[in-house]
Amino acid sequence: MLVNSEQIIEALIQTIQMVGFSFIFSIIIGLPLGILLFVTRKGQIIENLPVFTVLNAVINVFRSVPFIILLVAIIPVTRLIVGTSIGTSAAIVPLVFYAGPYIARLVESSLLEVDKGVLEAADAMGATPFQTIFRFLLPEALSSLIVNFTIATIGLIGASAMAGTVGGGGIGDLAITFGYQRFDTTTMLITVAILIVLVQGLQSFGNILSKKIRRG
Amino acid sequence: MIEFQNVSKVYNSGGKEIRALNSINLKVNKGEIFGVVGFSGAGKSSLIRCVNSLEKPTSGKVIVDGHDLTTISKKRIREVKKSIGMVFQHFNLLNSKTVYANVAMPLILSKVPKDQIKQRVSELLEFVGLGDKAQVYPDQLSGGQKQRVGIARALATQPSILLCDEATSALDPQTTGSILELLKKINKEYGITILMITHEMAVIREICDRVAVMEAGKVIEEGTVFDIFSAPKTNTAQNFVSTVMHDQIPPSILNMMERKQALNHIFHITFVGESTGSPFLSQLSKILDVEINVLFGNITELQGIPFGKLIVEIQGADTEVKRALSYMQAQQILYKEVIAHAS
Ligand SMILES: Nc1ncnc2c1ncn2[C@@H]1O[C@H](COP(=O)(O)OP(=O)(O)OP(=O)(O)O)[C@@H](O)[C@H]1O
Ligand SMILES: [Mg+2]
Repeated sequence: MLVNSEQIIEALIQTIQMVGFSFIFSIIIGLPLGILLFVTRKGQIIENLPVFTVLNAVINVFRSVPFIILLVAIIPVTRLIVGTSIGTSAAIVPLVFYAGPYIARLVESSLLEVDKGVLEAADAMGATPFQTIFRFLLPEALSSLIVNFTIATIGLIGASAMAGTVGGGGIGDLAITFGYQRFDTTTMLITVAILIVLVQGLQSFGNILSKKIRRG
Repeated sequence: MIEFQNVSKVYNSGGKEIRALNSINLKVNKGEIFGVVGFSGAGKSSLIRCVNSLEKPTSGKVIVDGHDLTTISKKRIREVKKSIGMVFQHFNLLNSKTVYANVAMPLILSKVPKDQIKQRVSELLEFVGLGDKAQVYPDQLSGGQKQRVGIARALATQPSILLCDEATSALDPQTTGSILELLKKINKEYGITILMITHEMAVIREICDRVAVMEAGKVIEEGTVFDIFSAPKTNTAQNFVSTVMHDQIPPSILNMMERKQALNHIFHITFVGESTGSPFLSQLSKILDVEINVLFGNITELQGIPFGKLIVEIQGADTEVKRALSYMQAQQILYKEVIAHAS
C-alpha cells in the first residue's frame, strides 16, 4: 500500500469539508430558487410567468452541463471567487454550481407533492404569501425535502471525487492517483469501502430523519 | 350577509371556455343556514369559492357583510377572509402539525398573543368535543374527528360566516349526523351564518333554513326548505326531493292496482303541521261508510313542522267516497286522486 492511514484520514476530512460546505452553499442558493420556482408557477400564490420561465430555463442550462465539463468551464469564476483554481476551497465553487440548481429542482418537486387542499386552506385563512410558504408549504414538505437533500448530498460525494482530481484532494483524489494511476489495489479497495460506508450512513440517517418527521 | 349580484364565472381550460356560473342572483341572510344543492358540475363549489375570494367572479358582484369583494384590495380581502371560516370535504389539515397547532394556525397568522391562543384553542377543542386530542396528529384521528378539527380551525377567528363545501360527503351517515348537530349548535350559539353545499338532500332537510337548487351554473329554484320539500317545482328539485321523500307508489302496489279493478279510489294525501297529529283517517271510517286502506306512507319533519304523505285507497260507494272528499276539504287536508296508469 502506497498511502498511510494519516493520508487516508486527511483525504476523508477533505471530502467531508468539500461535501459539507458545498452542501450548505447549495442549500442557501437552491432552496430559495426552488421555492421561487414553485410559487411563481401558473395558479400558485405569486404566479409570475416571466420569472418562472427564465428561472426554469437557467436551471435547465446548468443541469444539462455534465459535471466534468462544468468543473473546467467554471475555472475563471472560481478564480474570481476564491483567488485560486486549485485546492479544497476551489473545488467547492463548481460543486455549488452543480448542486445548487439540482437542489432547486428537488425542492420544487418536494413542494409539488404538498396537498393542494392545504394551500387552499391557507388561502381561505387569509395567509400572506410569506406565511403560506413558511407556515404551510415548508412544514408540510419537510419530510420529502429531507429525502431529497439526502439524495443531493450523495450526489455531492460522487461529484467531489471528480472535483478532487483538479487538486481538491479528498477520497476520490486518493483513489485515482494511487489506486488507479499507480495500480495500488489496496488503496483502491479502502477508498471504495470508505465511500460505501459514507453513502450508506448518510442514506440511513436521511431515511430515519424523514420518517421521524413524516406524518399521515 | 352574503349577496351575489349577477355573478358569472368562466374558466378557461385548454382553450375551452367553461361557464361554471351564469348570472347568479342570491341572498343569504344573516344568521341563517343556507343550503345549495345540485348535481356534480352544477357550479356549487365555484359559487361558494367566490364568497371568500378563492375564485374571482368573471363578472358581477359578491358582497360579504357590506364589503364588495370584487373591488377591494388584496390586503382588505385577506382581512375579510379572516371573518369567514371554511370547512372542506377533505378536511385540508396540516399533517405535519398537531391538532392544537392546526386550530391555532388562523390565530398565529393574525399574530394573536400566545396566551390568548392557548385559551381560545382549548375552548374550541372543548366545544367540538376534542378536548383530549390537542397533542395528537391528524393521521391518528377518524374522519369525523378530523372534520371537528377543521370546524374548530374555521371558528378560531370568530367569523361571522361559515362556508362548508361538502363538509360531510366523506363521512358515514352516523358521523354526518353528529357533524350536522355540531353545525346546528354553532349556528344557534354563535349566530354564525352558514352557507353549505351538498349533493345530499338529507343534509339540507336536517339543518337548513333555506335552499337553492343549482343546475348548469344557474339557480333554478330557491325557497324555504319546507317549500322546496313540500312542493318542488322543477324536475331537478323534484328528483332531489324524491331521494329523501319517497312519494312514488311502490311498483308492487301499482301492479296490484292494475290487476285488481277494485282498487280505483286512490288518493295522495298531504298532511302539514297540526293535521299530521289528528286521527282523521279513523274518523272518516267511523263517520262515513268507507274503509280506508293505507297503501304507502311517509311522515317526516321539515324545519320542525311535521309533514306527511300518504297514499290511501278509499273503499265504498261512490257517494260515500265523495262525502269523504268534502270532509277532507273541510278539514283543509290536501288530496289528489291518483290514476293507476298515469302514476
Ligand atoms: N379551476 C377550474 N378550471 C376549469 N374548469 C373548472 C375549474 N373549476 C371548476 N371547473 C368547471 O366548472 C364547472 C363547475 O364546477 P364546480 O366545481 O363548481 O361544480 P360542483 O357543483 O361543485 O361539482 P361537484 O359536486 O362535482 O363538486 C365544472 O364543469 C368544472 O369542470
Ligand atoms: Mg364541488
